[in-house]
Amino acid sequence: MLADVATILRAEGLTKRFGGLTAVDALDLEVREGEVFGFLGPNGAGKTTTLRLFCALIAPTSGTAEIAGARLGRDDARIRATVGILTEQPGLYERQSAAQNLRFFGALYGLPRKVAAEQTDRYLRLMGLWDRRDEAVATFSRGMKQKVAIARAAMHEPRIVFLDEPTTGLDPDAARTVREFIGRIRDEGRTVFLCTHNLDEADRLCDRVAFFRRKVLRLDTPAGLRAELYGQATEFRLVPRPREEDLVRVRAVDGVRSAVAEDGGIVVSSDDPLRTNPQVIRVLVAGGADVAYVTERRVPLEDVYLRIVEGVG
Amino acid sequence: MIALRPDRVTIIRTICAREWREAAGNRLLVAMTLLPPVVILLAGIGAVGAAAIYPPSERDVEALYAASPAMRGLDPTEAVQGIIATYFLILFMLIPTVVPLTMAIYSVIGEKSARTLEPLLATPAGVGELLFAKSIASTIPAVLVTWVAYVVYLVSVRAVGSQPAVNAVTASRWILAIIILVPLLTLLSVNLGIFISTRVNDVRVAQQIGGLVVVPVVGLGIAQVTGRVVFSDSAFVQTALFLIALDVAVFYLARLAFQRENILVRWR
Repeated sequence: MLADVATILRAEGLTKRFGGLTAVDALDLEVREGEVFGFLGPNGAGKTTTLRLFCALIAPTSGTAEIAGARLGRDDARIRATVGILTEQPGLYERQSAAQNLRFFGALYGLPRKVAAEQTDRYLRLMGLWDRRDEAVATFSRGMKQKVAIARAAMHEPRIVFLDEPTTGLDPDAARTVREFIGRIRDEGRTVFLCTHNLDEADRLCDRVAFFRRKVLRLDTPAGLRAELYGQATEFRLVPRPREEDLVRVRAVDGVRSAVAEDGGIVVSSDDPLRTNPQVIRVLVAGGADVAYVTERRVPLEDVYLRIVEGVG
Repeated sequence: MIALRPDRVTIIRTICAREWREAAGNRLLVAMTLLPPVVILLAGIGAVGAAAIYPPSERDVEALYAASPAMRGLDPTEAVQGIIATYFLILFMLIPTVVPLTMAIYSVIGEKSARTLEPLLATPAGVGELLFAKSIASTIPAVLVTWVAYVVYLVSVRAVGSQPAVNAVTASRWILAIIILVPLLTLLSVNLGIFISTRVNDVRVAQQIGGLVVVPVVGLGIAQVTGRVVFSDSAFVQTALFLIALDVAVFYLARLAFQRENILVRWR
Protein backbone atom coordinates (compact mmCIF):
# COMPACT_ATOMS: atom_id res chain seq x y z
CA MET A 1 0.00 0.00 0.00
CA LEU A 2 1.34 3.38 -1.01
CA ALA A 3 -0.60 5.62 1.34
CA ASP A 4 0.17 6.04 5.02
CA VAL A 5 -2.07 7.50 7.72
CA ALA A 6 -1.25 11.15 7.09
CA THR A 7 -1.53 10.96 3.32
CA ILE A 8 -5.02 10.72 1.91
CA LEU A 9 -4.09 11.13 -1.73
CA ARG A 10 -0.93 10.09 -3.49
CA ALA A 11 -0.32 10.17 -7.24
CA GLU A 12 2.73 8.71 -8.91
CA GLY A 13 3.45 9.44 -12.55
CA LEU A 14 -0.25 9.99 -13.21
CA THR A 15 -0.72 10.77 -16.88
CA LYS A 16 -3.76 11.39 -19.02
CA ARG A 17 -3.62 11.78 -22.77
CA PHE A 18 -6.47 12.52 -25.15
CA GLY A 19 -5.12 11.48 -28.53
CA GLY A 20 -2.04 13.62 -29.07
CA LEU A 21 -2.87 16.02 -26.23
CA THR A 22 -1.30 15.41 -22.84
CA ALA A 23 -3.67 16.91 -20.27
CA VAL A 24 -1.85 15.59 -17.18
CA ASP A 25 1.82 14.76 -17.48
CA ALA A 26 3.42 12.34 -14.99
CA LEU A 27 1.84 14.00 -11.96
CA ASP A 28 3.45 13.23 -8.62
CA LEU A 29 1.48 14.58 -5.69
CA GLU A 30 0.73 13.98 -2.04
CA VAL A 31 -2.18 15.50 -0.16
CA ARG A 32 -2.33 15.21 3.61
CA GLU A 33 -5.38 14.19 5.56
CA GLY A 34 -7.26 17.16 7.05
CA GLU A 35 -5.68 19.93 4.98
CA VAL A 36 -7.20 22.36 2.52
CA PHE A 37 -5.10 21.84 -0.57
CA GLY A 38 -5.20 24.48 -3.29
CA PHE A 39 -4.76 23.36 -6.88
CA LEU A 40 -4.07 26.47 -8.93
CA GLY A 41 -3.45 26.90 -12.60
CA PRO A 42 -4.64 28.71 -15.72
CA ASN A 43 -7.60 27.64 -17.85
CA GLY A 44 -6.73 24.53 -19.82
CA ALA A 45 -3.97 23.53 -17.40
CA GLY A 46 -5.63 20.14 -16.79
CA LYS A 47 -7.11 20.82 -13.34
CA THR A 48 -10.57 19.44 -14.12
CA THR A 49 -9.05 16.40 -15.82
CA THR A 50 -6.94 15.79 -12.70
CA LEU A 51 -10.04 16.06 -10.52
CA ARG A 52 -11.88 13.58 -12.72
CA LEU A 53 -8.93 11.20 -12.49
CA PHE A 54 -8.86 11.39 -8.69
CA CYS A 55 -12.63 10.84 -8.52
CA ALA A 56 -12.36 7.73 -10.76
CA LEU A 57 -14.49 9.35 -13.42
CA ILE A 58 -11.92 8.81 -16.15
CA ALA A 59 -9.07 6.34 -16.37
CA PRO A 60 -5.42 7.36 -16.44
CA THR A 61 -3.30 6.60 -19.50
CA SER A 62 -0.47 5.59 -17.18
CA GLY A 63 0.68 6.04 -13.62
CA THR A 64 -1.20 5.34 -10.45
CA ALA A 65 -2.95 7.02 -7.57
CA GLU A 66 -4.32 6.04 -4.21
CA ILE A 67 -7.17 7.92 -2.62
CA ALA A 68 -7.97 7.06 1.00
CA GLY A 69 -6.24 3.74 0.56
CA ALA A 70 -8.18 2.77 -2.58
CA ARG A 71 -6.21 2.31 -5.76
CA LEU A 72 -7.35 4.02 -8.94
CA GLY A 73 -8.37 1.52 -11.60
CA ARG A 74 -8.85 -1.30 -9.09
CA ASP A 75 -11.17 0.16 -6.45
CA ASP A 76 -13.00 2.79 -8.49
CA ALA A 77 -16.42 2.29 -6.91
CA ARG A 78 -14.82 2.54 -3.47
CA ILE A 79 -13.06 5.74 -4.47
CA ARG A 80 -16.33 7.25 -5.67
CA ALA A 81 -17.93 6.35 -2.35
CA THR A 82 -15.01 7.86 -0.41
CA VAL A 83 -14.81 11.19 -2.21
CA GLY A 84 -17.22 14.02 -2.89
CA ILE A 85 -17.00 16.27 -5.93
CA LEU A 86 -18.35 19.66 -6.85
CA THR A 87 -18.25 19.80 -10.63
CA GLU A 88 -17.74 22.95 -12.71
CA GLN A 89 -21.51 23.22 -13.24
CA PRO A 90 -23.89 22.65 -10.32
CA GLY A 91 -25.69 20.00 -12.40
CA LEU A 92 -28.90 19.89 -10.37
CA TYR A 93 -32.32 18.62 -11.38
CA GLU A 94 -34.00 21.97 -11.87
CA ARG A 95 -37.63 20.82 -11.67
CA GLN A 96 -37.00 19.18 -8.33
CA SER A 97 -36.55 20.79 -4.96
CA ALA A 98 -33.26 21.19 -3.13
CA ALA A 99 -34.32 18.50 -0.65
CA GLN A 100 -35.34 16.09 -3.41
CA ASN A 101 -32.01 16.61 -5.16
CA LEU A 102 -30.04 15.87 -2.00
CA ARG A 103 -32.12 12.86 -0.96
CA PHE A 104 -31.73 11.43 -4.46
CA PHE A 105 -27.94 11.66 -4.35
CA GLY A 106 -27.89 10.46 -0.75
CA ALA A 107 -29.59 7.27 -1.89
CA LEU A 108 -27.11 6.82 -4.76
CA TYR A 109 -24.28 7.20 -2.25
CA GLY A 110 -25.80 4.26 -0.43
CA LEU A 111 -27.09 6.18 2.57
CA PRO A 112 -30.10 4.55 4.23
CA ARG A 113 -33.26 6.55 3.61
CA LYS A 114 -33.46 7.91 7.18
CA VAL A 115 -29.79 8.95 7.19
CA ALA A 116 -30.14 10.58 3.76
CA ALA A 117 -33.12 12.58 5.03
CA GLU A 118 -31.23 13.65 8.18
CA GLN A 119 -28.15 14.65 6.20
CA THR A 120 -30.30 16.56 3.72
CA ASP A 121 -31.85 18.57 6.54
CA ARG A 122 -28.48 19.15 8.22
CA TYR A 123 -26.72 20.39 5.10
CA LEU A 124 -29.61 22.56 3.94
CA ARG A 125 -29.53 24.29 7.33
CA LEU A 126 -25.73 24.65 7.16
CA MET A 127 -26.02 26.26 3.75
CA GLY A 128 -28.80 28.60 4.84
CA LEU A 129 -31.31 27.02 2.47
CA TRP A 130 -33.67 25.44 4.97
CA ASP A 131 -36.50 27.89 4.30
CA ARG A 132 -36.43 27.11 0.60
CA ARG A 133 -35.85 23.37 0.84
CA ASP A 134 -39.09 22.43 -0.94
CA GLU A 135 -38.83 24.93 -3.79
CA ALA A 136 -37.78 23.88 -7.28
CA VAL A 137 -34.08 24.49 -7.87
CA ALA A 138 -35.00 26.30 -11.10
CA THR A 139 -36.16 29.23 -8.97
CA PHE A 140 -32.78 29.48 -7.18
CA SER A 141 -30.04 32.00 -7.87
CA ARG A 142 -26.64 30.83 -9.12
CA GLY A 143 -25.24 31.11 -5.59
CA MET A 144 -28.04 29.05 -4.07
CA LYS A 145 -27.61 26.35 -6.69
CA GLN A 146 -23.90 26.26 -5.95
CA LYS A 147 -24.63 25.83 -2.25
CA VAL A 148 -26.95 22.89 -2.98
CA ALA A 149 -24.25 21.36 -5.19
CA ILE A 150 -21.65 21.76 -2.43
CA ALA A 151 -24.04 20.16 0.06
CA ARG A 152 -24.45 17.29 -2.39
CA ALA A 153 -20.66 16.85 -2.57
CA ALA A 154 -20.32 16.69 1.22
CA MET A 155 -23.56 15.15 2.53
CA HIS A 156 -22.23 11.58 2.56
CA GLU A 157 -19.33 12.93 4.63
CA PRO A 158 -16.52 11.88 2.31
CA ARG A 159 -12.98 11.86 3.66
CA ILE A 160 -11.89 14.13 0.82
CA VAL A 161 -14.00 16.70 -1.01
CA PHE A 162 -12.94 17.97 -4.45
CA LEU A 163 -14.27 21.43 -5.20
CA ASP A 164 -13.93 22.83 -8.71
CA GLU A 165 -14.19 26.64 -8.62
CA PRO A 166 -16.69 26.69 -5.73
CA THR A 167 -17.09 30.47 -5.49
CA THR A 168 -16.93 31.47 -9.14
CA GLY A 169 -19.84 33.73 -10.01
CA LEU A 170 -21.10 33.99 -6.44
CA ASP A 171 -21.98 37.21 -4.67
CA PRO A 172 -19.82 38.09 -1.63
CA ASP A 173 -22.37 36.76 0.85
CA ALA A 174 -22.71 33.39 -0.86
CA ALA A 175 -18.94 33.17 -1.36
CA ARG A 176 -18.46 33.77 2.36
CA THR A 177 -20.92 30.98 3.24
CA VAL A 178 -18.98 28.63 0.97
CA ARG A 179 -15.63 29.63 2.50
CA GLU A 180 -17.02 29.13 5.99
CA PHE A 181 -18.29 25.74 4.94
CA ILE A 182 -14.85 24.78 3.64
CA GLY A 183 -13.40 25.82 7.00
CA ARG A 184 -15.98 23.67 8.77
CA ILE A 185 -15.05 20.63 6.68
CA ARG A 186 -11.41 21.15 7.60
CA ASP A 187 -12.32 21.55 11.26
CA GLU A 188 -14.03 18.15 11.08
CA GLY A 189 -10.70 16.68 10.01
CA ARG A 190 -11.71 16.11 6.41
CA THR A 191 -9.61 17.06 3.43
CA VAL A 192 -10.56 19.66 0.83
CA PHE A 193 -8.97 19.65 -2.61
CA LEU A 194 -9.73 23.10 -3.95
CA CYS A 195 -9.39 24.08 -7.60
CA THR A 196 -9.73 27.81 -7.91
CA HIS A 197 -8.78 30.88 -9.86
CA ASN A 198 -9.45 33.03 -6.83
CA LEU A 199 -5.93 33.44 -5.46
CA ASP A 200 -7.01 35.59 -2.56
CA GLU A 201 -9.39 32.83 -1.52
CA ALA A 202 -6.65 30.19 -1.91
CA ASP A 203 -4.36 32.35 0.20
CA ARG A 204 -6.93 32.61 2.98
CA LEU A 205 -8.15 29.02 2.95
CA CYS A 206 -5.36 26.73 1.83
CA ASP A 207 -2.77 25.10 4.04
CA ARG A 208 -0.73 24.27 0.96
CA VAL A 209 -1.04 25.16 -2.70
CA ALA A 210 0.24 23.55 -5.87
CA PHE A 211 0.74 25.58 -9.02
CA PHE A 212 -0.17 23.32 -11.88
CA ARG A 213 0.14 23.29 -15.62
CA ARG A 214 -0.07 19.69 -16.83
CA LYS A 215 2.29 18.91 -13.94
CA VAL A 216 3.00 20.46 -10.57
CA LEU A 217 5.28 23.44 -11.07
CA ARG A 218 5.68 24.31 -7.36
CA LEU A 219 4.08 23.10 -4.13
CA ASP A 220 4.32 24.65 -0.68
CA THR A 221 2.40 26.72 1.84
CA PRO A 222 1.45 30.17 0.53
CA ALA A 223 3.84 31.72 3.08
CA GLY A 224 6.60 29.32 2.06
CA LEU A 225 6.22 30.20 -1.62
CA ARG A 226 6.30 33.91 -0.84
CA ALA A 227 9.39 33.51 1.29
CA GLU A 228 11.10 31.39 -1.36
CA LEU A 229 10.42 33.79 -4.20
CA TYR A 230 10.31 37.17 -2.53
CA GLY A 231 11.63 36.68 0.97
CA GLN A 232 9.52 38.19 3.71
CA ALA A 233 8.70 41.79 3.04
CA THR A 234 8.34 44.60 5.58
CA GLU A 235 7.32 48.18 4.93
CA PHE A 236 9.08 50.97 6.87
CA ARG A 237 7.08 54.19 6.64
CA LEU A 238 9.36 57.24 7.09
CA VAL A 239 8.57 60.85 7.87
CA PRO A 240 9.32 62.72 5.67
CA ARG A 241 9.58 60.51 2.55
CA PRO A 242 12.64 58.24 2.25
CA ARG A 243 15.79 59.63 0.68
CA GLU A 244 18.19 57.86 -1.65
CA GLU A 245 20.79 57.55 1.14
CA ASP A 246 18.21 55.78 3.34
CA LEU A 247 17.80 53.14 0.64
CA VAL A 248 21.56 52.73 0.30
CA ARG A 249 21.97 52.25 4.07
CA VAL A 250 19.14 49.69 4.23
CA ARG A 251 20.47 47.70 1.27
CA ALA A 252 23.81 47.44 3.03
CA VAL A 253 22.25 45.62 6.00
CA ASP A 254 23.31 42.01 6.16
CA GLY A 255 20.42 39.69 5.20
CA VAL A 256 18.44 42.27 3.22
CA ARG A 257 17.56 40.91 -0.22
CA SER A 258 16.08 44.06 -1.66
CA ALA A 259 14.86 47.49 -0.64
CA VAL A 260 12.67 49.69 -2.81
CA ALA A 261 11.00 53.01 -2.22
CA GLU A 262 7.25 52.75 -2.49
CA ASP A 263 4.47 55.19 -1.51
CA GLY A 264 6.43 57.15 1.08
CA GLY A 265 8.06 54.10 2.59
CA ILE A 266 10.76 51.53 2.01
CA VAL A 267 9.73 47.95 1.29
CA VAL A 268 12.44 45.64 2.56
CA SER A 269 12.64 42.00 1.62
CA SER A 270 14.69 39.60 3.69
CA ASP A 271 14.86 35.91 4.60
CA ASP A 272 14.84 36.56 8.36
CA PRO A 273 12.95 39.74 9.23
CA LEU A 274 13.19 39.04 12.97
CA ARG A 275 16.93 39.55 12.67
CA THR A 276 17.15 42.18 9.92
CA ASN A 277 14.28 44.52 10.83
CA PRO A 278 15.83 45.82 14.11
CA GLN A 279 19.06 46.48 12.22
CA VAL A 280 17.18 48.30 9.46
CA ILE A 281 15.49 50.52 12.05
CA ARG A 282 18.82 51.23 13.69
CA VAL A 283 20.57 52.30 10.44
CA LEU A 284 17.60 54.45 9.41
CA VAL A 285 17.48 56.24 12.75
CA ALA A 286 21.28 56.58 12.80
CA GLY A 287 21.06 58.18 9.34
CA GLY A 288 18.61 60.78 10.61
CA ALA A 289 15.35 59.28 9.32
CA ASP A 290 12.23 59.14 11.46
CA VAL A 291 10.44 55.76 11.30
CA ALA A 292 6.71 56.40 11.73
CA TYR A 293 5.61 52.75 11.68
CA VAL A 294 6.64 49.30 10.54
CA THR A 295 4.20 46.82 8.98
CA GLU A 296 4.48 43.38 7.48
CA ARG A 297 3.97 43.48 3.70
CA ARG A 298 2.38 40.37 2.22
CA VAL A 299 3.19 39.80 -1.42
CA PRO A 300 -0.14 38.91 -3.06
CA LEU A 301 -0.37 35.24 -4.02
CA GLU A 302 -1.25 36.56 -7.45
CA ASP A 303 2.34 37.80 -7.82
CA VAL A 304 3.65 34.40 -6.78
CA TYR A 305 1.26 32.72 -9.24
CA LEU A 306 2.25 34.99 -12.12
CA ARG A 307 5.93 34.44 -11.50
CA ILE A 308 5.63 30.64 -11.28
CA VAL A 309 2.93 29.88 -13.82
CA GLU A 310 3.30 32.69 -16.33
CA GLY A 311 6.94 33.53 -15.75
CA VAL A 312 6.04 37.16 -15.05
CA GLY A 313 7.70 39.36 -12.40
CA MET B 1 -20.24 7.90 8.01
CA ILE B 2 -19.00 5.98 5.00
CA ALA B 3 -20.96 5.94 1.77
CA LEU B 4 -21.46 2.57 0.16
CA ARG B 5 -22.05 1.26 -3.29
CA PRO B 6 -25.86 1.01 -3.34
CA ASP B 7 -27.50 -2.26 -4.31
CA ARG B 8 -29.13 -2.61 -7.71
CA VAL B 9 -32.68 -2.48 -6.36
CA THR B 10 -31.95 0.82 -4.60
CA ILE B 11 -30.44 2.29 -7.76
CA ILE B 12 -33.41 1.26 -9.89
CA ARG B 13 -35.94 2.42 -7.32
CA THR B 14 -34.16 5.75 -6.81
CA ILE B 15 -33.64 6.48 -10.51
CA CYS B 16 -37.19 5.44 -11.41
CA ALA B 17 -38.70 7.62 -8.68
CA ARG B 18 -36.68 10.62 -9.84
CA GLU B 19 -37.37 10.08 -13.55
CA TRP B 20 -41.09 9.66 -12.92
CA ARG B 21 -41.24 12.74 -10.71
CA GLU B 22 -39.42 14.67 -13.41
CA ALA B 23 -41.68 13.29 -16.17
CA ALA B 24 -44.85 14.01 -14.19
CA GLY B 25 -43.82 17.66 -14.03
CA ASN B 26 -43.30 17.84 -17.79
CA ARG B 27 -46.70 18.38 -19.40
CA LEU B 28 -45.38 17.86 -22.92
CA LEU B 29 -43.92 14.52 -21.92
CA VAL B 30 -47.13 13.43 -20.20
CA ALA B 31 -49.15 14.45 -23.26
CA MET B 32 -46.77 12.60 -25.60
CA THR B 33 -47.10 9.52 -23.40
CA LEU B 34 -50.87 9.49 -23.15
CA LEU B 35 -51.90 10.83 -26.55
CA PRO B 36 -51.07 7.80 -28.77
CA PRO B 37 -52.88 5.20 -26.64
CA VAL B 38 -55.89 7.48 -26.14
CA VAL B 39 -56.16 8.17 -29.89
CA ILE B 40 -55.79 4.49 -30.81
CA LEU B 41 -58.23 3.50 -28.09
CA LEU B 42 -60.90 6.03 -29.10
CA ALA B 43 -60.46 5.25 -32.78
CA GLY B 44 -60.66 1.49 -32.14
CA ILE B 45 -63.77 1.66 -29.94
CA GLY B 46 -65.36 4.16 -32.31
CA ALA B 47 -64.66 1.98 -35.35
CA VAL B 48 -66.02 -1.20 -33.75
CA GLY B 49 -69.12 0.67 -32.55
CA ALA B 50 -69.62 2.38 -35.91
CA ALA B 51 -69.44 -0.95 -37.73
CA ALA B 52 -72.59 -2.04 -35.85
CA ILE B 53 -74.46 1.14 -36.76
CA TYR B 54 -73.40 1.33 -40.39
CA PRO B 55 -73.60 -2.15 -41.95
CA PRO B 56 -71.03 -2.79 -44.69
CA SER B 57 -71.90 -2.87 -48.37
CA GLU B 58 -71.82 -6.20 -50.20
CA ARG B 59 -68.62 -5.19 -51.96
CA ASP B 60 -66.94 -4.38 -48.62
CA VAL B 61 -68.07 -7.71 -47.18
CA GLU B 62 -66.62 -9.65 -50.14
CA ALA B 63 -63.31 -7.80 -49.78
CA LEU B 64 -63.20 -8.54 -46.04
CA TYR B 65 -64.04 -12.22 -46.50
CA ALA B 66 -61.25 -12.42 -49.07
CA ALA B 67 -58.75 -11.00 -46.54
CA SER B 68 -60.10 -13.10 -43.62
CA PRO B 69 -61.57 -16.38 -44.93
CA ALA B 70 -62.21 -17.59 -41.34
CA MET B 71 -64.98 -14.99 -41.03
CA ARG B 72 -66.92 -16.34 -44.02
CA GLY B 73 -70.34 -17.59 -42.98
CA LEU B 74 -70.74 -15.17 -40.09
CA ASP B 75 -73.16 -12.30 -39.99
CA PRO B 76 -71.47 -9.60 -42.14
CA THR B 77 -71.87 -6.83 -39.53
CA GLU B 78 -70.48 -9.00 -36.75
CA ALA B 79 -67.69 -10.24 -39.00
CA VAL B 80 -66.69 -6.69 -39.87
CA GLN B 81 -66.59 -5.82 -36.18
CA GLY B 82 -64.32 -8.79 -35.57
CA ILE B 83 -61.97 -7.79 -38.36
CA ILE B 84 -61.85 -4.15 -37.26
CA ALA B 85 -61.24 -5.18 -33.63
CA THR B 86 -58.25 -7.26 -34.81
CA TYR B 87 -56.84 -4.42 -36.94
CA PHE B 88 -56.79 -2.14 -33.94
CA LEU B 89 -55.04 -4.77 -31.84
CA ILE B 90 -52.17 -4.49 -34.32
CA LEU B 91 -52.14 -0.75 -33.70
CA PHE B 92 -51.78 -1.49 -29.99
CA MET B 93 -48.36 -2.89 -30.83
CA LEU B 94 -47.38 0.59 -31.98
CA ILE B 95 -47.96 2.06 -28.52
CA PRO B 96 -44.87 0.52 -26.89
CA THR B 97 -42.69 1.65 -29.79
CA VAL B 98 -43.90 5.26 -29.72
CA VAL B 99 -44.74 6.05 -26.08
CA PRO B 100 -41.45 5.30 -24.25
CA LEU B 101 -39.22 6.78 -26.94
CA THR B 102 -39.78 10.37 -25.85
CA MET B 103 -39.16 9.62 -22.18
CA ALA B 104 -36.03 7.58 -22.94
CA ILE B 105 -34.65 10.34 -25.16
CA TYR B 106 -35.43 13.03 -22.58
CA SER B 107 -33.83 10.94 -19.82
CA VAL B 108 -30.44 11.11 -21.55
CA ILE B 109 -30.52 14.30 -23.65
CA GLY B 110 -32.24 16.14 -20.79
CA GLU B 111 -29.43 15.16 -18.44
CA LYS B 112 -26.83 16.03 -21.05
CA SER B 113 -28.15 19.54 -21.54
CA ALA B 114 -28.68 20.12 -17.80
CA ARG B 115 -25.13 18.87 -17.08
CA THR B 116 -26.48 16.49 -14.44
CA LEU B 117 -24.68 13.41 -15.73
CA GLU B 118 -21.29 14.16 -14.17
CA PRO B 119 -22.55 14.29 -10.56
CA LEU B 120 -24.58 11.17 -11.29
CA LEU B 121 -21.55 9.34 -12.65
CA ALA B 122 -19.49 10.46 -9.64
CA THR B 123 -21.64 8.34 -7.32
CA PRO B 124 -20.62 4.76 -6.49
CA ALA B 125 -23.45 3.43 -8.70
CA GLY B 126 -22.16 1.51 -11.72
CA VAL B 127 -22.72 2.91 -15.21
CA GLY B 128 -24.40 -0.29 -16.38
CA GLU B 129 -26.75 -0.11 -13.41
CA LEU B 130 -27.56 3.53 -14.11
CA LEU B 131 -28.30 2.70 -17.74
CA PHE B 132 -30.42 -0.31 -16.79
CA ALA B 133 -32.32 1.79 -14.25
CA LYS B 134 -32.97 4.51 -16.82
CA SER B 135 -34.13 1.87 -19.27
CA ILE B 136 -36.54 0.37 -16.73
CA ALA B 137 -37.80 3.84 -15.74
CA SER B 138 -38.92 4.47 -19.33
CA THR B 139 -40.16 0.94 -19.96
CA ILE B 140 -42.52 0.44 -17.02
CA PRO B 141 -44.89 3.39 -17.72
CA ALA B 142 -45.12 2.51 -21.42
CA VAL B 143 -45.93 -1.13 -20.70
CA LEU B 144 -48.49 -0.17 -18.06
CA VAL B 145 -50.11 2.38 -20.37
CA THR B 146 -50.37 -0.24 -23.14
CA TRP B 147 -51.79 -2.87 -20.81
CA VAL B 148 -54.32 -0.46 -19.34
CA ALA B 149 -55.31 0.65 -22.85
CA TYR B 150 -55.74 -2.99 -23.86
CA VAL B 151 -57.96 -3.73 -20.84
CA VAL B 152 -60.09 -0.66 -21.58
CA TYR B 153 -60.30 -1.72 -25.22
CA LEU B 154 -61.28 -5.25 -24.21
CA VAL B 155 -64.02 -4.06 -21.86
CA SER B 156 -65.29 -1.54 -24.44
CA VAL B 157 -65.40 -4.11 -27.25
CA ARG B 158 -67.37 -6.42 -24.96
CA ALA B 159 -69.83 -3.55 -24.42
CA VAL B 160 -70.27 -2.36 -28.01
CA GLY B 161 -68.97 -5.22 -30.14
CA SER B 162 -70.22 -8.53 -31.51
CA GLN B 163 -69.15 -11.96 -30.32
CA PRO B 164 -66.60 -12.32 -33.16
CA ALA B 165 -65.12 -8.98 -32.06
CA VAL B 166 -64.92 -10.16 -28.45
CA ASN B 167 -63.39 -13.44 -29.61
CA ALA B 168 -60.79 -11.51 -31.61
CA VAL B 169 -59.60 -9.33 -28.75
CA THR B 170 -59.58 -12.14 -26.20
CA ALA B 171 -57.76 -14.64 -28.45
CA SER B 172 -55.01 -16.26 -26.41
CA ARG B 173 -52.41 -15.39 -29.05
CA TRP B 174 -53.24 -11.70 -28.75
CA ILE B 175 -53.30 -11.79 -24.96
CA LEU B 176 -49.86 -13.40 -25.02
CA ALA B 177 -48.70 -10.82 -27.55
CA ILE B 178 -49.83 -8.03 -25.27
CA ILE B 179 -48.21 -9.63 -22.22
CA ILE B 180 -44.92 -10.71 -23.81
CA LEU B 181 -44.32 -8.75 -27.02
CA VAL B 182 -45.32 -5.37 -25.59
CA PRO B 183 -42.52 -5.32 -22.94
CA LEU B 184 -40.03 -6.61 -25.51
CA LEU B 185 -40.99 -3.96 -28.06
CA THR B 186 -40.90 -1.31 -25.32
CA LEU B 187 -37.40 -2.30 -24.25
CA LEU B 188 -36.28 -2.22 -27.86
CA SER B 189 -37.66 1.27 -28.35
CA VAL B 190 -36.25 2.54 -25.04
CA ASN B 191 -32.72 1.24 -25.57
CA LEU B 192 -32.71 2.42 -29.16
CA GLY B 193 -33.81 5.82 -27.86
CA ILE B 194 -31.03 5.83 -25.28
CA PHE B 195 -28.46 4.73 -27.85
CA ILE B 196 -29.55 7.45 -30.28
CA SER B 197 -29.49 10.01 -27.45
CA THR B 198 -25.85 9.22 -26.81
CA ARG B 199 -25.10 10.26 -30.39
CA VAL B 200 -27.17 13.42 -30.86
CA ASN B 201 -27.96 16.46 -28.73
CA ASP B 202 -31.32 17.47 -30.14
CA VAL B 203 -34.50 15.82 -28.84
CA ARG B 204 -36.26 16.34 -32.18
CA VAL B 205 -33.50 14.69 -34.19
CA ALA B 206 -33.41 11.78 -31.75
CA GLN B 207 -37.18 11.37 -32.04
CA GLN B 208 -37.04 11.41 -35.82
CA ILE B 209 -34.39 8.72 -35.89
CA GLY B 210 -36.04 6.72 -33.11
CA GLY B 211 -39.37 6.92 -34.89
CA LEU B 212 -38.01 4.50 -37.46
CA VAL B 213 -38.53 1.70 -34.90
CA VAL B 214 -42.25 1.74 -35.77
CA VAL B 215 -41.56 0.85 -39.40
CA PRO B 216 -41.12 -2.92 -38.94
CA VAL B 217 -44.18 -3.06 -36.66
CA VAL B 218 -46.30 -1.17 -39.18
CA GLY B 219 -44.96 -3.40 -41.95
CA LEU B 220 -45.87 -6.51 -39.99
CA GLY B 221 -49.34 -5.09 -39.35
CA ILE B 222 -49.94 -4.30 -43.01
CA ALA B 223 -48.70 -7.74 -43.99
CA GLN B 224 -51.17 -9.36 -41.64
CA VAL B 225 -54.10 -7.16 -42.62
CA THR B 226 -53.54 -7.96 -46.28
CA GLY B 227 -53.29 -11.64 -45.43
CA ARG B 228 -49.65 -11.93 -46.55
CA VAL B 229 -48.50 -12.96 -43.08
CA VAL B 230 -50.48 -15.18 -40.73
CA PHE B 231 -49.67 -14.54 -37.07
CA SER B 232 -49.47 -18.22 -36.15
CA ASP B 233 -48.16 -19.72 -32.90
CA SER B 234 -44.74 -20.44 -34.38
CA ALA B 235 -44.54 -16.93 -35.87
CA PHE B 236 -45.36 -15.55 -32.43
CA VAL B 237 -42.58 -17.56 -30.76
CA GLN B 238 -40.10 -16.63 -33.49
CA THR B 239 -41.00 -12.96 -33.16
CA ALA B 240 -40.59 -13.10 -29.37
CA LEU B 241 -37.17 -14.80 -29.65
CA PHE B 242 -36.07 -12.34 -32.31
CA LEU B 243 -37.12 -9.41 -30.12
CA ILE B 244 -35.27 -10.83 -27.09
CA ALA B 245 -32.08 -11.14 -29.16
CA LEU B 246 -32.59 -7.65 -30.55
CA ASP B 247 -33.22 -6.22 -27.07
CA VAL B 248 -29.99 -7.72 -25.75
CA ALA B 249 -28.03 -6.46 -28.77
CA VAL B 250 -29.42 -2.92 -28.56
CA PHE B 251 -28.88 -2.75 -24.78
CA TYR B 252 -25.29 -3.90 -25.34
CA LEU B 253 -24.85 -1.16 -27.98
CA ALA B 254 -26.29 1.45 -25.61
CA ARG B 255 -24.00 0.16 -22.84
CA LEU B 256 -20.98 0.51 -25.13
CA ALA B 257 -21.90 4.10 -25.89
CA PHE B 258 -22.77 4.89 -22.26
CA GLN B 259 -19.24 4.89 -20.80
CA ARG B 260 -18.15 7.28 -18.04
CA GLU B 261 -15.23 8.67 -19.97
CA ASN B 262 -17.15 8.97 -23.25
CA ILE B 263 -19.94 10.81 -21.52
CA LEU B 264 -17.67 13.27 -19.72
CA VAL B 265 -15.08 13.90 -22.40
CA ARG B 266 -16.76 13.37 -25.76
CA TRP B 267 -20.43 14.18 -25.21
CA ARG B 268 -21.18 17.84 -25.86
